[in-house]
Amino acid sequence: MEGSPPRPRWRKVAYGGMQPGYDDNYTDESFLEAMVMNSNVVKRDLLKVMRDSVSISQYLCVVALVVCVWTYTLGSIIDEKLLLSLDAVLLGLGFLVLLLTERRLSLPLLSKYFLNIGFFICGLYVLAPLFHTLTRSISSDSIWALTVSLLIVHLFLHDYSGSIIRPPGAPNNPTLTSNISLNASIVASVLIASRLPSRLHVFAIMLFSLQVFIFGPLVIHCLKQYSVKAHLWFSFTLTCSTLAIIFPINRLVFVIFLGLLLFVTVVCPYWLIRMQEYKFEIEGPWDEAKLCFDITE
Amino acid sequence: MEQWQQTLMKIAMAVQRRHRVLMVSDFFYPNFGGVENHLYYLSQCLLELGHKVVVMTHAYGTRTGVRYMTGGLKVYYVPWKPFLMQNTLPTIYGTFPIVRTILIREKISVVHGHQAFSTLCHEALMHARIMGYKVVFTDHSLYGFADVGSIHMNKVLQFTLSDVNQAICVSHTSKENTVLRSGLPPEKVFMIPNAVDAAMFKPAETRLSREEIVIVVISRLVYRKGADLLVEVIPEVCRLYPNVRFIIGGDGPKRVRLEEMREKNSLQDRVEMLGAVPHVQVRSVLIRGHIFLNSSLTEAFCIAILEAACCGLLTVSTRVGGVPEVLPEDIIVLAEPVPNDMVQAIGKAIRLLPKIDPQVMHDRMKSLYSWHDVARRTELVYDCALSCSDENLLVRLSRYFACGVWAGKLFCLVMTLDYLLWHLLELWQPSKDIEEVPDIASESLHEEMPWSVETEAI
Repeated sequence: MEGSPPRPRWRKVAYGGMQPGYDDNYTDESFLEAMVMNSNVVKRDLLKVMRDSVSISQYLCVVALVVCVWTYTLGSIIDEKLLLSLDAVLLGLGFLVLLLTERRLSLPLLSKYFLNIGFFICGLYVLAPLFHTLTRSISSDSIWALTVSLLIVHLFLHDYSGSIIRPPGAPNNPTLTSNISLNASIVASVLIASRLPSRLHVFAIMLFSLQVFIFGPLVIHCLKQYSVKAHLWFSFTLTCSTLAIIFPINRLVFVIFLGLLLFVTVVCPYWLIRMQEYKFEIEGPWDEAKLCFDITE
Repeated sequence: MEQWQQTLMKIAMAVQRRHRVLMVSDFFYPNFGGVENHLYYLSQCLLELGHKVVVMTHAYGTRTGVRYMTGGLKVYYVPWKPFLMQNTLPTIYGTFPIVRTILIREKISVVHGHQAFSTLCHEALMHARIMGYKVVFTDHSLYGFADVGSIHMNKVLQFTLSDVNQAICVSHTSKENTVLRSGLPPEKVFMIPNAVDAAMFKPAETRLSREEIVIVVISRLVYRKGADLLVEVIPEVCRLYPNVRFIIGGDGPKRVRLEEMREKNSLQDRVEMLGAVPHVQVRSVLIRGHIFLNSSLTEAFCIAILEAACCGLLTVSTRVGGVPEVLPEDIIVLAEPVPNDMVQAIGKAIRLLPKIDPQVMHDRMKSLYSWHDVARRTELVYDCALSCSDENLLVRLSRYFACGVWAGKLFCLVMTLDYLLWHLLELWQPSKDIEEVPDIASESLHEEMPWSVETEAI
């Protein structure tokens, strides 16, 4: 074909009518040239994912420990005096960890914390008689069933990456799901507390549960921010002690709990890594542009 | 004798080539927008080329039944009420009887559906395919792949497109997007852009002075149109260029933010906010300015910049979607959707302004875009669709089956039920009992019965 003039190059334009020499359904070599695949995919490392999953198994242990304390109290193995001293020790330890790890902690902030906790304890003490008789007309089976489901909801919606009580200076507000999670745990504590024999029992167990559910995540978060090594050691000790406490209660529960921990720290990370192969993300000029600044309404 | 025979042959060919098209979309006059515009002008130009065009859309308020528009364009306003954003409630089978009746009454040969959001379009195309009609689909929009909404939308699109004869997209970027979303072979997808009615968008008779430079924005003030970018860009431009003024036409949820920005920077005398601008007044707003600013975050084609360029305005736009394909490089300044970059682009446009002659630009746009060209190219697509071989139901079902593990089986079930429904309808109301409409030539329509038909012009 020497005689024919070379046809003009195809251009990726919409104007000027049909391009001479090319039909409208012509597909150029440059077709889909601007498509990018899997550009946002993060390469994950099994060890790192496993280390991150420790936060979850650690919190599972915390909840398991709370349930153990509940069962022991209901079985009158722990009496109210021991429980109250446990509360005091936990509170002291929590503040100690906060003082040691948080650099931004100032005196006014600390006094604010103390004041809030003072109000909190007084309020709880006043309300204890109310909690004591709150669910008298409901059978214990229903209470247990409800408590278990609320705890499961709590565990599913819990914000494992942070804590609902923000350390000073943290920017984001807690999300809706983490609020629901916290509320579920509080309702569960109220339900359990209402099964106890005396008002002091109710007060002590409520104080204990709320300390763990509200301030526990904050303390754990601060510890993790401070040093990952300390966090890992703490998790390890916590896991071992939880397993040791569960073992005498029920063998089956022990086995199930051990399985759950293994599932969370070994199987799930492995799954996540394996699933990365199926990642298929397409990006291109057709995507909606993202604004590079925050919109302040 | 031989010559006479040849003429006869030519006439026979012409008659054969005359398409009888049913345009289906939820979006049509009295609503306004890119799709509505496209449908109206395409239909008008196809009528001029001698084809028969019938439009089917849903009822708008009290506007139901059959109406005639300019040039004898027949519109069926099917009495289905819209329920969300002008879309009819998706019933899958509910529209079958009326679609079938219209197809038979009007002796349709090609069904042309518009816009992926339109439920009526999807349903009509499905029924038309079951009845063995050739179908063409035009996609007017871009869609991502990431969020839950678009994943489902894309599945629906895949369902419709897995069996269309040809598809049309309004820009090359849109074609890439559609091919990815639907898995159609790229040869089946045509690129035919929108156009602009140059007669409606003429530049101002007298040239504006350049002492004060006016930047016009006409768009719905919503997130997708980049209203938040405007909030960042306008104060900065006003600070850098003291002789610049803004005119903003359009309404929407982000209008409050723009007004807030105007208050905060005391720009009341330099930023004029017009509120919603009816389409007929768009030109009168455009010709008050020198530069047109488009801040969309996503756009398949963008008719607005076409209209602005046709009025002789220099365009500054974000480089998104199909926008870079729309205008030649010398009459558009593109910027990334970042405030700084857009401010720089506006500065560049202001420096370019002395070289721009609106009348020259208008004439150039006239040569670059015309609805007649669009209609001729669409005609070719119809020819292509008609030359496709007929396939039996089993072959087509296998194509639906390949759509996905679960979706494929579901699609097959939906189509099989539709097929059964079709035969049921045939029993209930045999197609030979449906009266066919006599064709009325568009000229005679105006002359003979001006009292009986309502003719409306857009």
